[in-house]
Order: sequence, then C-alpha cells, then structure tokens
Amino acid sequence: MSDRSQLISTGEPFKFDQERDTEFERLIKRYPERESMILPALWLTQEQEGWISAEAIAYIADRIGTFASKVFECATFYTMYHLHPMGKYHICVCRTLSCWLRDKQAIVDFLKDEIGIEPGQKSEDGRFSLEEVECLGHCGTAPVVQINGEFHEEMDVEKLKALLAELN
Amino acid sequence: MAEMIKLFVNGNEVEVEAGKNLIDAIGAVGIEIPHLCYHPALGADGNCRMCLVGLEEGGPPLVAACKTPAAEGMKVLLDADHIKKIQHDVLEFQLINHPVDCPVCDQAGECSLQDYYMTYDGQKSRMTVPQVTKSKKMDFGCGVIHDQERCVLCGRCVRFCRQITKTGELGIVNRTDTARVAIFPGRPLDNRYAVNVVDLCPVGAMTSADFRFKQRVWFMKKERGVCHGCSKGCNITIDHNREKDQDDLIYRFRPLFNEQINGYFICDEGRLSYRDENENRLTEARLSKTTMSLDKAVTAGLKEIKRAEGIVILISPDCSLEQMVSVKSLAEELGATLSGFSDGYIKKGDGDDYLIQDDKAANRAGLAALNIDSSQTGFEEALAKAGLLINFNNDLSLFYDESSLKKLFKEKRVIGVTSRNTKLFQMANLVIPVASFTEYSGSIISCDNILQTFNRAITKNDTLVDICEVASLFGGPLKTDRDRYDELKKIVVSLNDFDPDTIPATGLKLT
Ligand code: SF4
Ligand code: SF4
Ligand code: FES
Ligand code: FES
Repeated sequence: MSDRSQLISTGEPFKFDQERDTEFERLIKRYPERESMILPALWLTQEQEGWISAEAIAYIADRIGTFASKVFECATFYTMYHLHPMGKYHICVCRTLSCWLRDKQAIVDFLKDEIGIEPGQKSEDGRFSLEEVECLGHCGTAPVVQINGEFHEEMDVEKLKALLAELN
Repeated sequence: MAEMIKLFVNGNEVEVEAGKNLIDAIGAVGIEIPHLCYHPALGADGNCRMCLVGLEEGGPPLVAACKTPAAEGMKVLLDADHIKKIQHDVLEFQLINHPVDCPVCDQAGECSLQDYYMTYDGQKSRMTVPQVTKSKKMDFGCGVIHDQERCVLCGRCVRFCRQITKTGELGIVNRTDTARVAIFPGRPLDNRYAVNVVDLCPVGAMTSADFRFKQRVWFMKKERGVCHGCSKGCNITIDHNREKDQDDLIYRFRPLFNEQINGYFICDEGRLSYRDENENRLTEARLSKTTMSLDKAVTAGLKEIKRAEGIVILISPDCSLEQMVSVKSLAEELGATLSGFSDGYIKKGDGDDYLIQDDKAANRAGLAALNIDSSQTGFEEALAKAGLLINFNNDLSLFYDESSLKKLFKEKRVIGVTSRNTKLFQMANLVIPVASFTEYSGSIISCDNILQTFNRAITKNDTLVDICEVASLFGGPLKTDRDRYDELKKIVVSLNDFDPDTIPATGLKLT
C-alpha cells in the first residue's frame, strides 16, 4: 500500500451533474443515517469524473452534512476509489488466488508489453491505465479482467488482444 | 457511594466499583492494565489490543479490558505467561515503525508507549527492513503540531474532535502501515479546545506549538490550581520550574480531572493564560516615577488615605473570597465606598454550552456572596464625589477606553494595587505590586456556585504580597487567615459549616 493521502486539487469547484444529482437524492432515502451515503457518493463521483479530487471530497462532505475528514478516510481506505485521473480505459487484473493460479501473470506481462506501462501507471497518451487488484468476486471464471468496470472472464492473451482491438 | 463488587486479579481478591470497565475498576485500586486507545472521556474503541487480559472460568479466555465490565467473582489474569507474551507482541507491533526519537520527543517521561515498553516489553527490535517513514512536522492549526511517525493510531484525537467538540477536523487516512492521522486539506483544527488532543495523545505524536522543546517534563514540578480565565473555574495542573539563575516560571497549564467542573479538559485560552503569570508583571512599587520599597509605598499610601476627601475602593472580580472580605473590611474601616464594578469582564456571546463562559471573572459569585455592589452607576457616582480611588487589581480598561479613563481619573488620586503592569495602572499615582493567583492561596466561587480552594503554586525569587496583606497594611482589621475566614462565615451563610480544611479538593457545591 502506498500513501494515498496526497489529494489532487483541480482548482475548480465540483458538483454532481443532473443525472448523479438525481441518483444521489434517490439513494439517500435508503439510509437512516446520511453518512451511509459516503461510499455511494464517492462511486457517483468516480462514475462522473473517472476519479475523485479534493474538491469532490469536500463537496460530498458538505452535501451529506458530515466531516470532510470522514469522507477523506473512506476515499483513502478503499483502493477502488481513484484519487488521480486514470486512463481512458482503466484495466484491472485480478491478482488473488484463483486468478493467480490460472495465470493472471501472462495477462499482466502481455499488457505491460503491449501498452508499455507497469501496474499503477498510466500510458503517456492517456489511453490506458493498469492496476492489479484483489479478488473481484468472479473466482469461478478466473482469470478476471475488468475494463472500466466491465467484467471479462476466463481471459487469456488471445481474448485480450481481440478485446483491445475493439477499443478505440 | 457506588456499589462495590469483589473479583480476583491474579488470584488475589480485590474490591472494586461496579459498573466500570476492567481498566478503570482495577486501575482504581492501583493495578495497571496497559491501554492506549481507551480514555474514560472518549469510551472504549477496542482498536489497540494493548489491554488484553485473561479470564479464568467462564466467558472467552481472552478479553479486551476496555470493553469488559467488571463483574462479581470474575477471575482476571494479568501476570500469566501468555498474557505477558501478548503484551510484548502488541508492543512489538506498535514499535515496528515507531521512530523511537524519545531523546527529542516532548512526551518522553510521560509517554505510555515508553513506559509500557520498559514494563512489558524491553526487547531489542528484530526488524531488519527499512521503516515506513511519514511526516514529522505537520501544522494542524490551533497550535497543534503533529508527528505522524510517532502516532500509534489509537484514534483518541480523532474521537475527541468528533465526540467532544463535534468539529471533526481529524481523521485516520489510508490503511495498514501507511495509515496516519491527517486533516482534510484546507480544513485545519478550528475549535477552542483543540490543544486537549496533545494531552489525550498517549505518545508524542501531538505536540503543542507553545510548549514544544521548552522543558523536559521530569524537571517540572506539578501543582494543582484553578484557572482564572473565566468563571467556570476549571481545575488545572500548573507545571513550573525554576531553572538555574532564573525565576520560578510556569511552562504550561494542563487540565486536571474534576468531574463536577471541567471533566478531563480545559479550553485553549485558559491553557495559555499561564503566560500572564510570567509576563508583563508589576514587580516594583512606584510613586509617580520613583520606584520604592513596599514599606515606603505603604507609608505613601497611608498618607494618600489620610489626605483624601472621599475614598472609593474598587475590587477585582478575580480576587479570592479572602481578599474580597479583607478589602471589604478595610472599606468599612476607612468609611470608603466599595465597588466591584467589572462589566468589562463580561464578553457577551463569547461563551459556549461546554466550558467557556461569557464572564471572564473567576469570582463574580464571590462579589455577590459578600454583597459587594457591582453596578456601574454605583461606582461612577461614588467616584465622582471622591478624591481617591484605590483599585485592587480591577482591569477597568476592559470597560473604558483611554480617554474615558482619563476623564474618570481627572483630579483624582489613584492607588493601584495590582499584579499587572498595564497602561491602566501606569496611569495611577501610586502602584503596589501584589501576587497573582498562582502565587497565593485562596478560594473562589464558580459560575456553577461551586466553592473551590487552591494553594500557592509558585514562589517567585522576589515574593510579592497578597492583596489581603495590603488591605491589612492599609489599616484593614482582618490580620490572619482565621480572621478572614471567620468574617466570611459571618457574611456567607452557606459557609457556616465549613472550614478551609474541610472543603473537598474537588470543590463544594453551595446551596
Ligand atoms: S496522534 Fe496520538 S491521539 Fe491521535 S491517533 Fe495518534 S497516537 Fe492516538
Ligand atoms: S473554560 Fe474558563 S476556566 Fe476553563 S480553562 Fe477555559 S478559561 Fe479556564
Ligand atoms: S481471485 Fe480473481 S476474481 Fe476472485
Ligand atoms: S484500550 Fe482496549 S483495545 Fe485499546
């Protein structure tokens, strides 16, 4: 784990777009405590912007009516939240047991070669970022790759090649 | 009286209070259970595991003492080998990334981690990999400097800001060995009790910008005191030291637990008010521009009194009951009008619903108990007719600006009997320096009508007299502590049954 507490500031105020705003209001009714909205609100932000800025964290805290320190805690605790901009295509490769045993390494090595980046990095043209993640919960169909949140199961290098070719 | 129960610690029977957790219950009879995250004001969090103890028979064999209520017949194990091993192991974890910079750490000497290491661990580090490094000096605001590397992540500071001040500035960010305490960028500590996190922190991770590097704690002497910053009367520990060739100086005030007054905390302003005890003090008597001995000044004062046509005596609402009653008797003796006018001490709207009061006077209730008139008209009308004002440490400049003061004092003689060398007292014709509240013993009544006594904590190289003494030198009839107390008892009915020695250390709620 690395230090995730150095937040990036955009210098621009953040706010939910119309769609997320509506979704926020729909979801918050589910919870007896407004603070329970911290995680969903972080997701909404990431969906909207691809990552979560310092301004977004302050916005979420104020919108929910909780301490910024609490949203800060959650955002830095869960590695699934991106605290800096990712590539246009963010590729996650599962590195937990099942996927490891079914040769996730071949996939990672291929991607390293193909895109020219290490896990944790973003390609220079900003098209790709790569990350190794813990169990994605689809162990039965390992190895699993996730691209922008979409699951691709029983992956191998051939399938991945085809998949990348489809991306623009 | 709380209900008592019997339980066993390491096979020995002890009697403890029911309804407390094991740390507090057993701690009260002098048996320590090491703990880092638990604090009685913040409750049990259960995150540090330092407090694990064994239970024989019934229940789980191992429990967190902070989360376990003391129960009748419980068999608590503290000295078994497996418990000692746990304590050692928990400490070894804590110390993996700890910088152990005790030689330059303010907390050394009053650090739980240091003490526990000496008591429960004492082993060499087995770590061969480089330590995780973090920030060593972060300005969190409000005079709190944070060292992330020393932090044991007990969360006390975080819980204080969430539960007590409800301002929530602090959080623990990241996780695993990169976890650390942080403020959200741009939202630093911003509450009037913030420096309490320094006292709460069991290690040297939270330090006070004011106190940092000033003293090693073991050189300081500690005395109980009562803060005079406002009418709440919070209990404090006065940490002071006389360094070689220097005067006895106060280095910090810290909160002292008093359940019925301030609990475990004090406000930051009160904490820093120790500075007024060290700085800007009046130390020499002076007539116009000539400094002189106390004797000579008293003689000069007596001359003024003799000459005066009409005297007003003004007393500070910070004075002790003993001082008030001495000055009151003096006023009666001299046929002077006595006033406790001090509206300037009241800062409307400044107080909160926790400790801080609007009224910055420590003993206004004392004025009332002694029937001393405090009205503005009373004071101004009497002064208009008088030729001499004797001001016992009352800071009139809190109410009047300079030009109003000049008008007020026009064609009057003014004697200032004061601990402070301020503009106001520079306007007086004669000034006599007196002791400040850390340098005398006395009693005061708080805004909650609690009577508290306190003893002299500081002895200056050149000791200054108490206001009681000056009142007596000016011809006041009360000469001894006994005289003063007997007089007090005559006036204040609720003191009838009490003597200074029988007033409990934690204060006496007057009815
Ligand atoms: S700074 Fe001190 S009080 Fe706060 S979590 Fe760290 S060790 Fe505990
Ligand atoms: S609340 Fe008042 S009495 Fe208590 S520490 Fe602060 S100033 Fe002193
Ligand atoms: S181990 Fe990869 S999805 Fe569970
Ligand atoms: S004091 Fe019990 S777990 Fe920390």
